[in-house]
Amino acid sequence: MKTSKCYLSMACGIALVAIMLALPGRLHGQTSAAKSSGGDGTSATRYSVQVDQVDAGNLDLSYSFQIAIYENLVDELNKTRQFQQVFRDGDVKASEVPNLLVLKTTVEKYTQGSETRRAVTTVSGATKLTVRSQLLTREGKVVLERSVNGDVRFFGSNLRATHNLAHNIAKTIEQSSLSGSQEPTATISGQL
Amino acid sequence: MNRFVISCSHANTYRLGRRHALWLSTVLLCCSLTAAAQEITQPGDTSAPFSTRATHLLGFAGAKNNSTGTLSVQDDSLQFQQNGKPGTKVKIALVQDVFLGAESKQVGGLPMTLGKTAAPFGGGRVVSLFAHQKYDTLTLEYLDADKGIHGAIFRLTKGQGELVKNELIAHGLTINSRQDQSTKERATEATHENK
Repeated sequence: MKTSKCYLSMACGIALVAIMLALPGRLHGQTSAAKSSGGDGTSATRYSVQVDQVDAGNLDLSYSFQIAIYENLVDELNKTRQFQQVFRDGDVKASEVPNLLVLKTTVEKYTQGSETRRAVTTVSGATKLTVRSQLLTREGKVVLERSVNGDVRFFGSNLRATHNLAHNIAKTIEQSSLSGSQEPTATISGQL
Repeated sequence: MNRFVISCSHANTYRLGRRHALWLSTVLLCCSLTAAAQEITQPGDTSAPFSTRATHLLGFAGAKNNSTGTLSVQDDSLQFQQNGKPGTKVKIALVQDVFLGAESKQVGGLPMTLGKTAAPFGGGRVVSLFAHQKYDTLTLEYLDADKGIHGAIFRLTKGQGELVKNELIAHGLTINSRQDQSTKERATEATHENK
């Protein structure tokens, strides 16, 4: 009885070691696969992007939110290194650049939250933003169109939602091949 | 003997008066130090440039995000100077728009948040109910050398946003037509935060 228990524990130990050895290799394989599939990303580096100002549509979105989304978008797109250059709206240098894409952002939904309510109740007071992001060529052809969410549910100020939103938009653009081969509309969301 | 008693009482009164004077001077000194620390110059004073304490949230040329410093209007430019660091400037002529907003924020930052989370029996939530403060937000839209649009957001003590805006107007800022919405926006935000 004692020896069978001993064998069982030994077998468990060996299995654990085998799993531990196999797992990094598998993860490594996944990473390399991801890298190889990201080969399309190198073709995207030929593009430059101009970030247009945020269109609030008919929504009662404060200017600070619009400006924060715009500024965070410029920052996040620079961080991804997906594009050769990231231009701001109105930049005269953008007209001289070949292969320019224009990023248009239209706010579709906005739920105004409250930091105090979040802190007191935890479950309510979330600030939520949903925008439609479009990457267009100079001629106005839509290369990429996505519906993206950004919100702040627990910690942080209301403006934190704009940072999360911009991060999600940049991530969506980074993940796409910019060829329009994926579904024309997808939703990505993130929260804090 | 009688003379001695009288002189003693006189001495006590004198000592008491001196103590009061000492207290009063200490209080006055504290008040003057606090007033100096605020570093707020009233716009009516034309000789000194207008300046106020502000927190730079994002976007102002070269300034670090979420940094505290002094926002000042000097001659033809708006300057933000972090504590102990060289200031960054934007010419007022390049500022396209100024929007005011209101914001309510929990005070105490991360340490306070952790403390509230650790408090037993939901005590932290009760603290959160009272541990918030109202601020003004000042949103600027300005152009860079290539005419690219930039945006900057500052958080100011309640009431200071209007003063900065007025000072910018006094220094030649032209206000866009969208400006008249900011009052409505402030009212909406304030109402929502008060709920």
